[in-house]
Amino acid sequence: MNKEARLKASINQKLTETGERDRLKELLRAKLTECGWKDQMKAQCKDVIKQKGLEHVTVEDLVVEVTPKGRALVPDSVKKELLQRIRAFLTQHAS
Amino acid sequence: MSPAGCPHVNSFKVDNWKQNLRLIYQCFVWSGSAETRKRKAKSCICHMCGAHLNRLHSCLYCVFFACFSKKHIHEHAKSKRHNLAIDLLYGGIYCFMCQDYIYDKEMEQIAKEEQRKAWKMQGLRGLINLGNTCFMNCIVQALTHTPLLRDFFLSDRHKCEMQSNSCLVCEMSQLFQEFYSGHRSPHIPFRLLHLVWTHARHLAGYEQQDAHEFLIAALDVLHRHCKDDNGKKANNPNHCNCIIDQIFTGGLQSDVTCQVCHGVSTTIDPFWDISLDLPGSSTPFWPLSPGGDLTALNGESHATGATTLMDCLRRFTRPEHLGSSAKIKCSGCHSYQESTKQLTMKKLPIVACFHLKRFEHSAKLRRKITTYVSFPLELDMTPFMASSKESRMNGQYQQTVEAFNNDNKYSLFAVVNHQGTLESGHYTTFIRQHKDQWFKCDDAIITKASIKDVLDSEGYLLFYHKQFLEYE
Repeated sequence: MNKEARLKASINQKLTETGERDRLKELLRAKLTECGWKDQMKAQCKDVIKQKGLEHVTVEDLVVEVTPKGRALVPDSVKKELLQRIRAFLTQHAS
Repeated sequence: MSPAGCPHVNSFKVDNWKQNLRLIYQCFVWSGSAETRKRKAKSCICHMCGAHLNRLHSCLYCVFFACFSKKHIHEHAKSKRHNLAIDLLYGGIYCFMCQDYIYDKEMEQIAKEEQRKAWKMQGLRGLINLGNTCFMNCIVQALTHTPLLRDFFLSDRHKCEMQSNSCLVCEMSQLFQEFYSGHRSPHIPFRLLHLVWTHARHLAGYEQQDAHEFLIAALDVLHRHCKDDNGKKANNPNHCNCIIDQIFTGGLQSDVTCQVCHGVSTTIDPFWDISLDLPGSSTPFWPLSPGGDLTALNGESHATGATTLMDCLRRFTRPEHLGSSAKIKCSGCHSYQESTKQLTMKKLPIVACFHLKRFEHSAKLRRKITTYVSFPLELDMTPFMASSKESRMNGQYQQTVEAFNNDNKYSLFAVVNHQGTLESGHYTTFIRQHKDQWFKCDDAIITKASIKDVLDSEGYLLFYHKQFLEYE
């Protein structure tokens, strides 16, 4: 594994160990619901299901179709806030 | 995704499959304890490429983790003919034969229970702000993490005798159950708010209120509603044996000494909190009267010049000349004489709350005092005890003996902070879990905090509990 991958892995480890990852997930969940993103995604999924047909659609279909739109629709403010919190966490645990 | 379920799970549902599945959820999906989290952090990487993201899955038939995005888990499923895998992020079960995520009733049930369990251990839950209600939220966080109070409510010891639904103790009990229920979503304390408005009219309305006032009002109502629990009423209506009194009530001794005959008149009043004046307020803080060599006891030095909690307590317990305009009738002299008054602690409560008087409401001035006051993680109240004062007056310096007396030692467990101005501000709380894990509670948002964050904060309400409670 190269240096960047190792760094990513150690950050992930720290986030998981301390439970911070779970808390950040909850925060993100709350923020995305608040700003209506979750409802937008629901609508997108419904469209894909209509398109492919209820009997034939798989979770993988939804993932492939909806993921890129989902990523693009996350508001900048939410991204900023998460980034801020992760930074704060890293500063705290820098060693 | 057939609603009839996947037929391929039947080969999995043999022997001790339920317990095995639970273990997988507990260890690798929803880790509840620090131990399982550590294990998860270490072992949950793709056995083929080492990645920890990429939709990691675990094989349900053997110990094998692999990523979904790069199809590594698919390779494993094909070669080993292990047809079921679990998504470590969301706990969904994937069947390689059906080529989709499946919904099996029994497995869903197990997943749900394990998820609840993982969060139940935390007792951490956010609180929705109902319109400037952070003054209430911050106190609720402190109370739900007060050790003995938590034990009292979680063991369901309140027997309600009130007819209507307006018992605050019942509502508190409900609140505690909610906090330790395992639900992760923020709680909406609308019933609590309504009860507070009903029982403490002066706090009603959607304006910003003072968290300290709310604390005292809440303790008062709880104390009143709790009194009905006791079969026997204590002689002193101010000191019954309810849980609030057991935990929060201390005794403050006030000694008034006549300057002429040196006779001392003593009264003891109950208290739930100690309100401390700060430097920068209109009441003078310095100079302190010579109070003996107390600086060494809590390992402090004044090199930095910052005011400490100990300074505030020293000032609180200093002898104060009452002046010629405030003469007291002395029973020894049978006339009005000048006197000095001194406050000391007669009885320490199990939970001590210190209120730093940051909000000045004098006739001309309404402002917030933002002077930094440093407070310790551990506090020894011995120098401020009535018994210590007596020993000093008798010429005995008992410091070395008292220092070993654990009963006066306290540990910080919650700090309420106020950010902003008198007109518009916001309350947040730091709470401590286990011995040294701190969290910041900001309405609905809970985040991990460092000890430094806590000790560097301004501090408005400081909650300490006696150290003999450290069993966690």
